[in-house]
Amino acid sequence: MKFNSSLDASVFLKKHLLFFIMKKHILLFPVLLMLLLNHCSNDIEETIETEVVTSSNEATESENDSNNSNSQNTTTTISFDHKEMLTNWADKIIIPSITNFQNSLTEFQEVSKTFANTPTIDNLNSLKEIWLISYLKWQYIEMFDIGIAEEIYFKNRMNLYPVNIDRIENNISNKNYDLDKSSNFSSQGFSALDYLLFGIDENENKITAKYSDSSLNYGTYLNDIISQMVELTNQVKTQWEGSYRESFIESTDNTATSSINLIINDFIFYFEKGYRANKFGIPAGVFSGKPLPDRIESYYGENYSKLLSLEAGKAIEQFFNGKHYDDPEEIGLSLKQYLDYLETDIDDKLSERINNQLKIAKDKILELNDNFKLQIEENNNQMLATYDAIQKTVVMLKVDMLQKLNISVDYADADGD
Amino acid sequence: MLRKYFKEATLHPAPLAVFRILFGLLMLIALVRFWANDWIETLYITPKFHFKYFGFFWVNDLGVFNYLLYSICIISSIGIILGYRYRLSIISFFLIFTYIELIDKTTYLNHYYFISCVAFMLCFLPAASYFSLDADKNIKVNEVPAWNIDALKLFLCIVYFYAGIAKINSDWLIEAQPLSIWLTSKYDIPIIGEILQLNFIHHAASWFGMLYDVFIPFFLLSKKTRKIAFLFVIIFHMLTKIFFPPIGMFPFIMIFCALIFFDESIHQKWISQLRNIIKNIGDIINKSEIVNNKSIYSKHKNHGLVLPVFICFFIFQLLFPFRHLAYPGELFWNEQGYRFSWRVMLMEKKGYTTFKVKDSVTQKVFYVDNSDFLSSFQEKQMSFQPDFILEYAHYLAHHFENQGHENIQIFADSFVALNGRPSQRFIDPNIDLNKQIESFENKKWILPLKDEIYGL
Repeated sequence: MKFNSSLDASVFLKKHLLFFIMKKHILLFPVLLMLLLNHCSNDIEETIETEVVTSSNEATESENDSNNSNSQNTTTTISFDHKEMLTNWADKIIIPSITNFQNSLTEFQEVSKTFANTPTIDNLNSLKEIWLISYLKWQYIEMFDIGIAEEIYFKNRMNLYPVNIDRIENNISNKNYDLDKSSNFSSQGFSALDYLLFGIDENENKITAKYSDSSLNYGTYLNDIISQMVELTNQVKTQWEGSYRESFIESTDNTATSSINLIINDFIFYFEKGYRANKFGIPAGVFSGKPLPDRIESYYGENYSKLLSLEAGKAIEQFFNGKHYDDPEEIGLSLKQYLDYLETDIDDKLSERINNQLKIAKDKILELNDNFKLQIEENNNQMLATYDAIQKTVVMLKVDMLQKLNISVDYADADGD
Repeated sequence: MLRKYFKEATLHPAPLAVFRILFGLLMLIALVRFWANDWIETLYITPKFHFKYFGFFWVNDLGVFNYLLYSICIISSIGIILGYRYRLSIISFFLIFTYIELIDKTTYLNHYYFISCVAFMLCFLPAASYFSLDADKNIKVNEVPAWNIDALKLFLCIVYFYAGIAKINSDWLIEAQPLSIWLTSKYDIPIIGEILQLNFIHHAASWFGMLYDVFIPFFLLSKKTRKIAFLFVIIFHMLTKIFFPPIGMFPFIMIFCALIFFDESIHQKWISQLRNIIKNIGDIINKSEIVNNKSIYSKHKNHGLVLPVFICFFIFQLLFPFRHLAYPGELFWNEQGYRFSWRVMLMEKKGYTTFKVKDSVTQKVFYVDNSDFLSSFQEKQMSFQPDFILEYAHYLAHHFENQGHENIQIFADSFVALNGRPSQRFIDPNIDLNKQIESFENKKWILPLKDEIYGL
């Protein structure tokens, strides 16, 4: 049979369609094929998950979305409210901590201008004071490496250490530097300020003297670095104030690019790398075989490494337990509550074990010398013991917690074995 | 009677032809999908180091030529579909597919093993004797030994049944693990996401899954229950696809393969339908169009060695999954004899394993950053599987020796959590892994699970 016109074709189709409908079991065939095709197209969409989390919807659209899901929220009573957790993270933890940090940076900028204009020891001391305040507040922010913060390498440009002092001195004497270049990441941020405020000479008199000689250019570099930090922080803050917050709290799915998974991965990564390794492990020589005391945070400030790491530990504990940044007495949904929901029937709660271990580690840190450099040089075993206590929490977070949350990290097919 | 069955019982070759076409088609899709996802690059070419199966250390990735392997494999699967140079196509498919799987055990999946087994059987079966480009238009094969088709059914029955009895254990049936963890985390599926939070559902799903796997082969074998059983096959596998998207092509492979259980007459109808469509749409396959009455009908005869090969294959299939009985300790924990035994979706296991490199003379110690050597997928798999840990430890020792380190000892700091239990230490931290040799012997340096899992 050959068909020359479209009419013939339709007759042909009808005939065969009828045949398919008449034969029951044959029906299964096209149905299965359609399912297969459908599956394949879905599959491809799934796997082309690029990092489009930040591409937020238009404001109006997302407002509508939020209205819809608000009404949904009232019906979700049995299960854990993921959106409320995200809202708590955004509104009570992330945004307030960035706002607070931004305010203190702005103040820092003022004081630094004053100091650059009139480099007295008094002004230097007030600059150091506000530097420390800002640095402590930074400890609450470093873990949220998400959205624009990730794109602009926020954490690397704010607090990469050890600082590269040769590079800084070069930049200052050449008067020609591009702080946006990645090779300059280790010559800006808090660690660069640490060097500029404490390390460019042996005492305060000599340091202020260097700033007094404007031809040396130290004041300009100081102000440039701070402007850069203010600028970057503004970018992050602006994004959170815009539609990003909305798309962040809407992204409640359990997929590799959803807000929950990104934040949890960031949190664990920060705990393991930014907190455990950078502040303790690397200086204590865990990864190198010999101690490297010059790798501590705030090496030139000398007496702040312990203070900064205690603050970071506090930030970690507050985030884990859902404590509000502005008032830690107030508690919202976070990982602790999520884990407790998943372990409703279990007495020995993972969240309690994690909190206990965080406490143990904190107690060990409290016993350390204010200056980790001295601690490592005098009794590195105590430093290593502290590291081990922190390491125990890493296991709980990466193994026990991730297992309970079943966070999806889709690398490839896996059938669970 | 058995002798008579093997000598005389015959069936129409249509079921084999349908099986061949569907198998080829699914393999084609699976291979293209694998390529499109860029997994050839990320799983085989990018990693600096591959985890080898014991005894297959000689298998290596061929760099860019991996793409050539896949190309040949794709062409072979088209050959399988069309039944064109079938024997060559299926043999090259089997060899290449199996070779690729042997490159790195990180990617081990039961269904890849399943595919290799089916392809192995198809190498010997007359799957292209009917409705294929190879088929002789004058001499029509209308009978093949019944056991040729029954062998495929038997294999499917083994897969299901073994997967089923593996689920008869206390974690699966009493604790509803790991389904409890997995289903709860599917809160984002519309409508049913809420239901999946219920503990009752986790238990129901576990029991249903176990009963399904154990009994479905029998219901598929019996003509009375076959249709309803097949409906269950579809429902079951579609559910697994919805709940566990990463299982990839597996549900579709199982659904299509199960069609082999249907009577030959039904397969003949499907083929005549397909033939009509092909004929009507165009003269694509000229050969199969000619249905003249003059053609001589004949019966396919297997080569004398085929039956012994199959008997060995099935003895292997029946016994190999029980090899774990030769090892002490908990199978789920030490995984000695876990792979290649149809244990599917039984465990949620997560690990964290770091390695301490020690100079035994100077006592100098440092830890290794795994991401320097492994892809994140490899690191994840290595963290909870003892044979991976040992192989990687040897690789590290070798690496640091080449860097000029001396008197190297390798210690693992390893923690693993199984099916929702709290994590516990996995590898004896005082054992120098560099001194341990990989073999089929019991690995004494795995610390025992501090709990008991009852069952098969």
